[in-house]
Amino acid sequence: MRKVSLSTPNEIRPALVDSLLQEQRSLTAADEFSAIVESGRADRMKDRYRSLLPLSQPSPGEQYAFEVDLDRCSGCKACVAACHSLNGLEEDETWRRVGLLVGGDWRDPLQATVTTACHHCVDPACANGCPVLAYEKDESTGIVRHLDDQCIGCQYCVMMCPYEVPQYRPSRGIVRKCDMCHGRLAVGEAPACAQACPTAAIKITLRRQEEVVADFRNGASTGAKEDPLARNLFLPSSPDPAISLPTTRYVTKNPQVAALGAADAAEAHPGASHAPLAALLILTQASVGVMLWQAVAGLVSHSPPGSGLTVLALALGVAGVLSGSIHLGQPLKAWRAFLGWRKSWFSREVILFGVYLNLAAASVLDSRLTVPAVLAGLGGVFCSAMIYVATRRIAWSKTRVFSRFAGTTWQGFLLTGWAATDSSSLVWLLILTTFARLALEMEIMKHEVDDESPRPSALARTARLLSTRFGRWNRFRVAAAMIGGVVLPFSALAAGELPPHWSLAAAAVALLAASELLERSLFFVTVSPPRMPGGVA
Amino acid sequence: MTTGTGTQAAPSSNWLRQFTGLLSSDLNQQPGEFGLGQVPARLKPDAIASSVCGFCSTGCSLDIHLRDNEPVNLTPSIDYPVNLGMACPKGWEALTPLSADDRATTPLLFNPRTNVREPVDWDHAMQVFALRFKAIQHRFGRESVAWLGTGQIPTEELAFLGALGKFGMGIRHGDSNTRQCMATSAVAYKQSFGFDAPPYTYADFEDSDAIVLIGSNLAIAHPILWQRVLQNKNRPEIIVVDPRKTETAMAATKHYAIKPKSDLVLFYGLARLLIDSGSINRPFIDAHTSGFDSFAAHVHQFSLDRVAEETGLTGEQVRGFAESIQRNRAVSFWWTMGINQGHESTRTAQAIIALALMTGNIGRPGTGANSITGQCNAMGSRLFSNTSALLGGRDFSEPTHRREVAEILGIPFERIPKTNSLAYDQILDAIDEGTIRGLWIVATNTAHSWIHQERARKLLCKLDFLVVQDMYHSTETAQLAHLSLPAAGWGEKEGTFINSERRIGVCRKVKTAPGHALSDFNIFRLASHYWGCADLFARWTSPSAAFEILKQLSRGRPCDFSGIQNYGHLECSGGIQWPLPDSTVETAGQSSSKPAQSLSYTRRERRLFADGKFFTPDGRALFLFATPQPMPEKPDSEFPFLLLTGRGSSAQWHTQTRTSKSAVLRKLYPQKLYAEIHPLDAKRLGIGPKDSLTLTSRRGSATARAFITPTVNQGEVFLPLHYESTNCLTYPAFDPHSRQPSYKACAVAISKANP
Repeated sequence: MRKVSLSTPNEIRPALVDSLLQEQRSLTAADEFSAIVESGRADRMKDRYRSLLPLSQPSPGEQYAFEVDLDRCSGCKACVAACHSLNGLEEDETWRRVGLLVGGDWRDPLQATVTTACHHCVDPACANGCPVLAYEKDESTGIVRHLDDQCIGCQYCVMMCPYEVPQYRPSRGIVRKCDMCHGRLAVGEAPACAQACPTAAIKITLRRQEEVVADFRNGASTGAKEDPLARNLFLPSSPDPAISLPTTRYVTKNPQVAALGAADAAEAHPGASHAPLAALLILTQASVGVMLWQAVAGLVSHSPPGSGLTVLALALGVAGVLSGSIHLGQPLKAWRAFLGWRKSWFSREVILFGVYLNLAAASVLDSRLTVPAVLAGLGGVFCSAMIYVATRRIAWSKTRVFSRFAGTTWQGFLLTGWAATDSSSLVWLLILTTFARLALEMEIMKHEVDDESPRPSALARTARLLSTRFGRWNRFRVAAAMIGGVVLPFSALAAGELPPHWSLAAAAVALLAASELLERSLFFVTVSPPRMPGGVA
Repeated sequence: MTTGTGTQAAPSSNWLRQFTGLLSSDLNQQPGEFGLGQVPARLKPDAIASSVCGFCSTGCSLDIHLRDNEPVNLTPSIDYPVNLGMACPKGWEALTPLSADDRATTPLLFNPRTNVREPVDWDHAMQVFALRFKAIQHRFGRESVAWLGTGQIPTEELAFLGALGKFGMGIRHGDSNTRQCMATSAVAYKQSFGFDAPPYTYADFEDSDAIVLIGSNLAIAHPILWQRVLQNKNRPEIIVVDPRKTETAMAATKHYAIKPKSDLVLFYGLARLLIDSGSINRPFIDAHTSGFDSFAAHVHQFSLDRVAEETGLTGEQVRGFAESIQRNRAVSFWWTMGINQGHESTRTAQAIIALALMTGNIGRPGTGANSITGQCNAMGSRLFSNTSALLGGRDFSEPTHRREVAEILGIPFERIPKTNSLAYDQILDAIDEGTIRGLWIVATNTAHSWIHQERARKLLCKLDFLVVQDMYHSTETAQLAHLSLPAAGWGEKEGTFINSERRIGVCRKVKTAPGHALSDFNIFRLASHYWGCADLFARWTSPSAAFEILKQLSRGRPCDFSGIQNYGHLECSGGIQWPLPDSTVETAGQSSSKPAQSLSYTRRERRLFADGKFFTPDGRALFLFATPQPMPEKPDSEFPFLLLTGRGSSAQWHTQTRTSKSAVLRKLYPQKLYAEIHPLDAKRLGIGPKDSLTLTSRRGSATARAFITPTVNQGEVFLPLHYESTNCLTYPAFDPHSRQPSYKACAVAISKANP
């Protein structure tokens, strides 16, 4: 083979590489670019805004609201990207979402894409839940603003909002959300999403708040709670608007849209597991259970019980609160958590557990304070339960939440009694309680429907998560409860060993604690929260 | 209009409630100046650079916000006549993919001993590049090295690659990924109009009385053009021809869900109905076209019954369609990949052209037989890639054309080959046969995008030497390369793109490329030096210098843009559509002190053929037709479903090498392949809404999540093209004229995947 040669002299080539690399690193001077800008641009933008904004500011009783024309939206999702860029959000942070409604007759299928952000509700659930008053519904505009520096990152608003609007940003330890570009509105500019919509499907209108109340609370029943096909005056296949009175108006000329369902209706989305919250709940409830034993024992025996168990209750309670603070994004600001007491069960829980721990600590020294401590503690447990009941999530109904939270407290009480006395009736109660709790929990499984169902109910989605994706954990939960709450106590009873040997009691406590932690984590991950229609999975 | 302060200034913080602070101020906004409105204060620009977007052929202009010489944000340009202040999500996120972790930052050379690609410096890389390719050529002949280019890089770079490859390196065969998207339109126009000349301007969307969209999901594939449709004030009929009820079909006034690949029969049937009812424009036909009579004789066999039978429409529907064309004053016909990617696509496109010609719907506002292009610079590639046509839309087989090019470029006449390149599929076949043994791939992802993927990958692996030049070392194709060359991306270099409506626009360098990545232009400069042919390309010193050469190459051609001064002229005119010969610049306002104002809006929107003169030698447009052929792989008992492919969402671009790098875009589309299947088919196969499917064709299989929807017809299944495994299934059929692959029809079997 003939030798192939390179014809440019060797020394020139590396020099060329260097000069090209150098050229690649240089940028054209910025001042050359800005020359293109001409003065009339801002005015031309404002011309465009004229059709996207109301003619006047809201009068009293009115507020700004998004109006989305479902017939104009083509699903391009520019609104999501524009909102991200024009608000300077984090790399993966988006305040808008676009979902899909599907349905119609097989011969004449229909779809509608749904762009959604904060609905700036008349009765904002986020604000109602916030323990530190980090939400402000602006009096003149009705915009629901989040005060980022007030937020403690408890994420309760994330659970309260039926529309998944507030999003927790771990990098900042706070929640952030859409503020309807209030700064833009203030200077006569359209919000980012409205500016950027190529088909002008998003605009800002004025809405009378009374009208929203009348539509969703005082008017005809919306019936959206269980049956996603039932007519929802807000938007088909979306959460019950009576919860928070969303102001966004979805408009369409096509009456068929009312019968559409979310494209992802069959999806069961797991929630966050919130392990620190699960620990907080189990520990505080166990603490109150132990304390309750102390109080009952004191009342029954008419003699002050030893302070050992009080110290245990206190330790459990403190551990619970500490665990809860791990959950917070801004724990140093948590001292403000009492501020929302007028509306927020979270604030009330914080206040009552604060009182409880103080009284519990004092009752180590003075056992007369045991009963007041227990009352405060029970109040705290009640508030804990109401925190979740208030979210109006169907899997977190009053019965389901209270049976769990009271159950844990009661089992704490019974376990203490079993370990501390020779009463066999307490053992039977413990066994019975364990069975009763498992039976109540399994009730939800009866909602599991045929896997083929295209639009399962929220409970069916929870049941599906419990039986499939989290089936193994659920079985662990049941097995640990059965061994710790039934087999071990019964074996102690059968062996006539009352109070039980410490190792047996310890094993039962450990198993039950693990079982409860699992139960409470499953409580969070399988809740299948209400949500706006999503897209193709 | 809200003008006052809608929100009062935030109440000042107190010890109980903090209204302000560091976390809040992170979201503060400030007037952006430069006419931008409010922008995040953190990202307030100190300069703005406008750049045409580098994804699709719409050709939107984006204002890049610069701060301390770094791009920090962007907004769509308000004044640009294409996008009028709008962008799709890809445009909004155009800067993000530049910062991806897997950017190629240094040349990588495959080391057969260690079996890994090892970093080398440019000097080493380019020595290997030249030595290996020369060695292959030396041993196996000139034909043995080829290139596959792209429609994703500026025209200056495409032209440089084409000139360097064919005239400098003596490469015989080069083709580009535009073969996959636009070859059909190019061939159809060239044969019918005498030049590859899409006749329209986007304003035609706004001026039509009826807009006929054929095989085009405009709302998703070109959202900014859909914007123009919705701006039409004539309450137009919007007619969509598509087997699927796409987002566009959903918004249309009429949707004709024809059987896949029955378009040609439909258009011939429509032509016959229009002829029979006397709804043709005889004076126009007589004055400006040829071949109509034989066309009329040909379409006579397409009776209403036959058309109804073969398209699956009712006779009434077909008649209604014809009436819509007949009734409306200005009818525009638009097509995209549904037509271009077919086994008889050229004749189908020409059937659309025929409908426009015979009804006189061409050259007037709101009319036209209009191909909407795919890639940002497919149109530049069609004119200047120097592959299937000689530079400037010339013919390799035409000695006068070769002489013109030789003179303009100052290269020896005999260096210009006398024949066209092989097409993409033929290059791959030649690899299979062992006649092509070295391949240079530039900015395309063959191992993902080529039809019948498994074979394409095997062939790439068979090469003696594969060079892949790309922004990322991670593409499916780059991973197969012996030598990877790191390229700068859009925004890291200068050049011009030509959009669907022939508008030439500039993209600017606003960012430095990572590591040792170089612009494709400079890689070609290096290649010319290491190859030893740098003296032939002494004038190709920069993109703007190359643009001057392109102007000369265009002079006297139908695409003549010699009247464009320079990049600045393009920038302040809002881009300029070809043609703009230098004889017209006086009226175009080049001499004016304010070019932007002097080019009035109407001058900024120009269409071709207003005078009825086409680019054929006799100035007449041609009617071209053929007998419809059955699709090559029909469903049968073994593979009973017909697989359709297409764009999934407006947040995805082709093989996703760039769009998958944006966290925002990733949120806007399903992460895994999904298959749209009709509810009755799903029921029959026992497939539930969350099930996974296995799709199998004679060539491979893919797993996809079921999306049960009646928007696809029974017996059909749809897969988006952006996912790697879609092309494991596709059947390699090609249009005989354009050699464009027929991606949208093959037979598959479907079963429930094992969980």
